[in-house]
Amino acid sequence: MQNVISFIKTHFASIAALLVAAMLAASFVLPVQAQALEVERWTAKGNADGDSVTVMGATPTRVTWQGQSAEDESVTGVSIELPDGSTVEPENVKATVIAGLDRLEVASQATVDGATVTVALDEPAPVGALIMVECNRTLLPGEGGSFGLAGSYTTIDGQTHDMPATDKVIDVVGKSPSEQLANWLNQQEWVKAWNSNKFLHLFFDPAIISTSVPALFAGWLVSLGVVVVSFPLAIPLGLLLSFLRMAKHRLPRAIGATYINIVRGTPLFLQLYIAYFGLPLMGVQLDPFAMGAIVLIMNSSAYLAEIFRAGIQSISQGQFEAARSLGMNGMQTMFFVIIPQTVRRVIPTMTSEFILMYKDTSLLAAVGVTELMMYAKTITAATGNVTPYIVAAGFYLIVTIPLTKLINTMETRMANGRRKHKKGPADRSITSAASVVPDSDAAVARSIRMSETFAGPASQLDATTTQLYDDARRNGNHISH
Amino acid sequence: MSESNHDGVVLNGEAVDTGPASASGAGAVGAGAASADASGASAASNEIVVRIEDLRKSFGDNEVLRGIDLDVHRGEVVVILGPSGSGKSTLLRCVNLLEKPTGGRIFFEDTEITAKKTDINKVRAKVGMVFQNFNLFPHLTAKKNVMLAQQKVLHRNADEAARIAVEQLEKVGLGDRIDYKPSELSGGQQQRVAIARALAMDPHVMLFDEATSALDPELVRDVLSVMKGLAKGGMTMIVVTHEMGFARDVADRVIFMDGGFIVEQGTPEDVFDHPKSDRTKDFLGHIS
Repeated sequence: MQNVISFIKTHFASIAALLVAAMLAASFVLPVQAQALEVERWTAKGNADGDSVTVMGATPTRVTWQGQSAEDESVTGVSIELPDGSTVEPENVKATVIAGLDRLEVASQATVDGATVTVALDEPAPVGALIMVECNRTLLPGEGGSFGLAGSYTTIDGQTHDMPATDKVIDVVGKSPSEQLANWLNQQEWVKAWNSNKFLHLFFDPAIISTSVPALFAGWLVSLGVVVVSFPLAIPLGLLLSFLRMAKHRLPRAIGATYINIVRGTPLFLQLYIAYFGLPLMGVQLDPFAMGAIVLIMNSSAYLAEIFRAGIQSISQGQFEAARSLGMNGMQTMFFVIIPQTVRRVIPTMTSEFILMYKDTSLLAAVGVTELMMYAKTITAATGNVTPYIVAAGFYLIVTIPLTKLINTMETRMANGRRKHKKGPADRSITSAASVVPDSDAAVARSIRMSETFAGPASQLDATTTQLYDDARRNGNHISH
Repeated sequence: MSESNHDGVVLNGEAVDTGPASASGAGAVGAGAASADASGASAASNEIVVRIEDLRKSFGDNEVLRGIDLDVHRGEVVVILGPSGSGKSTLLRCVNLLEKPTGGRIFFEDTEITAKKTDINKVRAKVGMVFQNFNLFPHLTAKKNVMLAQQKVLHRNADEAARIAVEQLEKVGLGDRIDYKPSELSGGQQQRVAIARALAMDPHVMLFDEATSALDPELVRDVLSVMKGLAKGGMTMIVVTHEMGFARDVADRVIFMDGGFIVEQGTPEDVFDHPKSDRTKDFLGHIS
């Protein structure tokens, strides 16, 4: 976004330079051709934040018209057509007459009809005077554009002349609908009342909300993009790590455990910094987005590995034995027997992990990825208002809350699904019991998630998981042969 | 679970259920291991399918098997009895290396399965095993349970695997349950699916590890009758069970284990009616 602004800045600087050059050229040529009124100025004052050149639409600015009357002309009135859609209040229109070196006190009456500003001088201006009309607090059209000059002037003999042609233009940068909405909001009484409360103004400014939402939307898409690319890639890596972690041989097991412990034991923020500052030193130049995604993948895969391990080890040893006794090898057993059963149990926890990763994309702001957080930070820095952060919170929540609900739904369905038998009980002793069974899909799924999500004191559910781990370990639950 | 009570109920069930079968089973036993009776009941040949030599297995300091020697002949039904912790299940699980022996050697047909270079998966494909807890794959229907290993291990195509699966399921009396998930089946039905799953691999020997112990008494009967049918069909079987009635009716040889040793073995009559060892007498006295 700043790139765009700076581009426009330079763009307009050069246009302004051209204008100045044209004016200089005109001032040399004018005296020679001075037979009728010449337009000397047709400008609007820059009104963009921290920028004296750019003219924003729908934002108060001062439009200045200045005409040099000819040596035989005495002007009594000027009518200027502002760009269509402009608004200005008559009391903000001011006329000034300068004859030679003297600024004359001339009373004038201004009327505004639509976008046409008409100034009638109470006394005719002296011949050859310079006449200046300033329209303060003018709102130029919000959609922007390049506007030339039209209008007319009246001389003392009662004649009305068309405004002489000029190639001077006012370039107005358009405002987005949301910026226009913000401007509109700022003029509303209830908004003014709302904003008079300091807290509401700083945290929930309606105008800033209306401008932040579309600006942050772009960042939200980047955040979503990072996680949508990273998460699916973290899954196979996590699976691989969980296999290493459970390997029969000591070396792969040590490698897996070391990786998982280091990644889970250090802050993601630190990992990002190591990659962000370390890779360039190694001569590896990576796009911030790609680098951020890689770090997230590597980080998340360590967490997923533990989730998968908990899931796989929650499957009873009998399943491994049954598959192996049929002659299936370790890989076949894993992929056709164990993992399909694990999926149901780990999906809620994986969804939690997805939520965590999504929230963690905010850290990428620190390493130059222009995601949601970065946008919010930029706007907050420019406005000195916390509202963009609140809007950012909204953008995080519209993803995380539905996903959290989804997790609950899945867990409930899993717990209830166990009791449902679509074909009815085949026999009177259905072996599987309801959700209370300690190693049912539902109970295991929830205990895995609880143990992953909270590192707090061991709950009942944690105890179940620990039990499962212990059982699995006792049974030597390795991928053997 | 009270063992004696459980077995008592089952014995009664057996007696009611399979009068004629009992007679023919007894005939087979009476005729000895080497010959078949008229009803075509199991008959062991001289060909050795499984040979176990001085098998030892320890879990840490706990020595569970202390030198077991056992030959199982083709077509022979060997029933292993013994109290809990006697090592009978461990012995069975060593035969397909679900437990790795700490000493001794095991041969399956011509292969020494305890040798390092042996591809154990190939051997396991020919050794069917039925577990106490069925261990059906809960995410697959009965048919898919029976199909999976056929396709992955024997590389049968889906059509052939499905055909064999349906055939085997019909044989165990579950032709109307092929598309049910294990959770929709009773324990007895699940165990019969497990048997069909093992049989679909065309095993040369079947291992039954307390196949009926987890079942409600009235469901035991169906599973036992399937096992009897198998035995009659000439399948080589090693059966760990507490079902004395089954042992008496179907076994060609009964082995009594205790403390990691084979204490006594012989025909069902030898072991049940004329036990030599006090330990055996004690055990049989407790359960009957």
